[in-house]
Amino acid sequence: MFSFIARRLLLAIPTLFGVLVVVFLLLYIAPGDPVMEMVGERADAETIARLRAELRLDDPVPVQFAHYAGGVLTGDLGTSYITGRPITRDILERFPKTLQLATAAMLLAASLGITIGVLSARRPGSTFDRLAMAGAYLGISFPVYWVGLILILVFAVTLRWLPPSGFGRVEYLILPALALGTRSIAFLARMTRSAMLEVLGSDFVRTARAKGLRERVVLGRHALRNALIPIITVLGLDFGYYLTGSILTETIFSWPGIGRYVVNAIARRDLPAIQGSVLFLSVVFVLVNLATDLLYAKADPRVRYD
Amino acid sequence: MRRLLAALFLLVPFACRGGESAPQRRTLIDSRDTYDPRTLDPALATDVPSGRAVAYVFDGLTRFTPDARLEPALAERWDVSADGKVYTFHLRRGVRFHDGTPFAARHVVQSFHRVLDPATKSTGPWVLYPVAGARDFADRKATSIRGIEAPDDSTVRITLDQPLAIFLKLLAMPVASIVPDSVGPDFREHPVGTGPWRFVEWRHDDYLLFAKNAEYFDGAPKTDSLRARIIREPSTAVAEFEVGNVDLLYVPEAETRRWEQTDERSAMLSAAPALRLWYIGINTTRGPLKDVRVRQAINHAIDVGVILDRLVGGRGRHAAGVIPPILDGADTTRRPYAHDVDRARQLLTQAGFPNGIDIDLWHSDNESFSRVAQSIQSYLGEAGIRARLVQREAAAMRAAARNGETDMVLKDWYADYPDAENFLYPLLHTANRGIGGNVSFYSNPAFDRLVDSSRIELDSARRAELYRRADSIAFADAPMGFLFFYNELYAVQPWVRGFQVPVIFNGQRWVQAELR
Repeated sequence: MFSFIARRLLLAIPTLFGVLVVVFLLLYIAPGDPVMEMVGERADAETIARLRAELRLDDPVPVQFAHYAGGVLTGDLGTSYITGRPITRDILERFPKTLQLATAAMLLAASLGITIGVLSARRPGSTFDRLAMAGAYLGISFPVYWVGLILILVFAVTLRWLPPSGFGRVEYLILPALALGTRSIAFLARMTRSAMLEVLGSDFVRTARAKGLRERVVLGRHALRNALIPIITVLGLDFGYYLTGSILTETIFSWPGIGRYVVNAIARRDLPAIQGSVLFLSVVFVLVNLATDLLYAKADPRVRYD
Repeated sequence: MRRLLAALFLLVPFACRGGESAPQRRTLIDSRDTYDPRTLDPALATDVPSGRAVAYVFDGLTRFTPDARLEPALAERWDVSADGKVYTFHLRRGVRFHDGTPFAARHVVQSFHRVLDPATKSTGPWVLYPVAGARDFADRKATSIRGIEAPDDSTVRITLDQPLAIFLKLLAMPVASIVPDSVGPDFREHPVGTGPWRFVEWRHDDYLLFAKNAEYFDGAPKTDSLRARIIREPSTAVAEFEVGNVDLLYVPEAETRRWEQTDERSAMLSAAPALRLWYIGINTTRGPLKDVRVRQAINHAIDVGVILDRLVGGRGRHAAGVIPPILDGADTTRRPYAHDVDRARQLLTQAGFPNGIDIDLWHSDNESFSRVAQSIQSYLGEAGIRARLVQREAAAMRAAARNGETDMVLKDWYADYPDAENFLYPLLHTANRGIGGNVSFYSNPAFDRLVDSSRIELDSARRAELYRRADSIAFADAPMGFLFFYNELYAVQPWVRGFQVPVIFNGQRWVQAELR
């Protein structure tokens, strides 16, 4: 087990180095000049030249890359061109908020999605099943942007139950988590339903029923457990996406997370901020994938990594 | 989709509105910032959110009122020498920084040195370049700025290389704010100034919080605190305003009509002519665009009235030149280019292009600009000008335009200070071609001479006349598609008193505003 983890982490290093190189080069060839963004609409050539020199932007690309990569190896992601703040501090300030939002969305998705899926699978074709699957169909189709604005309109503006946007106590978390989680809830419900239907038709379920187990135990302990693998896959993938890309949700709900930070950085050509966050988010993605793989083994003893 | 959502908002019954009663809070809440300010350090403030925040915490020697007049701030009064080169500022006495340090003349000297010191990496040192010796200091050729001295604790004398009419306005810009003695590396996050609001807290991408400076020399703000929320999405800001969580809303263009057409909402509206010009930078050095008749044809081809009415919610005024009508030097009797397709075709034929021309029109991915660009494209098409739309994200578009790679570029210009010079000089003077802001690469010696003379002309009536003449030349040369001067539209909650919509971005500091 531990050797598996160590191997995976070692394998991640070349991946991350590749990310570092690609991001650096992409930004280098992308149009738009960071110094022009720093000086704003009105600029003078002298100031631009001075700033380029201060930021070492006139050095040859390999030198710039070596300089940057050297910093990254020592844990220094550099300083933002635009704000002058250390990137590491910026990320550490924002990532926990994104993590909070993503976790809430996943918890919502896991609890609601799996429950709906199991209930639907219990009596396929029933009214509940039809309604749930129609709802799931809509949930998958609606863009998060639209869902978010509708949630604000209904629960914040009309009913006044919850605040429209912002960061704070738990009531601020509900709407964004719901908006972000909608697609996952819907997708998980469908996924769980089909996985359950497959398992419910198998011999061991019939055996379980035949020996007189209560339906709840049959569904929960025997059937669901065997349907978990695809569910974990969906959960893991979605969680990874939420941690790295809940940009729209964060924008609509003014949630001060890492997604908005990245978008801002891109708009302002803040190269160190873009590179730093992409690298950081790549690490997050690698870790989430690793955790997902480990969960497979936990859910299904036949999966072994030794 | 925005439209659909706007329509949905319309369905919300008015009965559920928060009513006219003031909220229980003692904090004014602004919702105008759409992105995190870059910094709270005046020397680095080039963006609007930073500039606004800097105006709360700091003072300059001068400042702007909401209606964009210049008034004394830390300088109580000043004398100008007969040749217009030497300014003697008499500073206000008894002013203290938020940390208790008494404000003195040395702070002015230090602050200006700091802005020009290359180690500060200030992005706006050009504001102080007119001061004698400023460039030498910025280039590390001198150890101090020879044009700034403090003969005593309450006097500062500034000598310029040559007279500059707008100098006092430059001093009201955020970058020229006065900072205290010790400015550590954390200053950009924890600023200390003399302004009406003390800095309290900055939650990045969330809000900035300020508390009133009870000892403010001009009278303390009437409310305890001020929160500037950062809300990226306009629809979200509207929702926050609807539920009464924010006191001030920048009404999105797409919602203008909806707000104007309902009594309850229109009562909350406050409009101000912004010092903002929407225009098409026509690169006068590229292909057929070198010919003035082609550029005039472009102006005649576009129906600006319809664009204003249908796409911008009627928020603007067709431009007949580059000087906003509220500024001295604007010729309000000049008629804009009329929408006249036949005239446009005729001009094209005279220029030798009877079969029309093919050109690029660049625009950013901003929604409003994209819509306007599409409309312009179809108007141009009617006159035989086949424009290919090139959409780029704003930074890329700006870089291309400054490098002279665009035929035409749709953009806007928002004034740094309320003076016609801030439109004529950066947008059209030869000295500013390319990165300076003149993306038309326009160069006309007669125009340049007038602008140069206006910059050193100290008599305001004569200066206005020079502005008018320069503007008139530029209008005839058509180095740009003159679109419109924009009007800002704000909604202010009925419980807010004493708030006047600012014409210039740093002209409203909420000192008189209160919640009732």
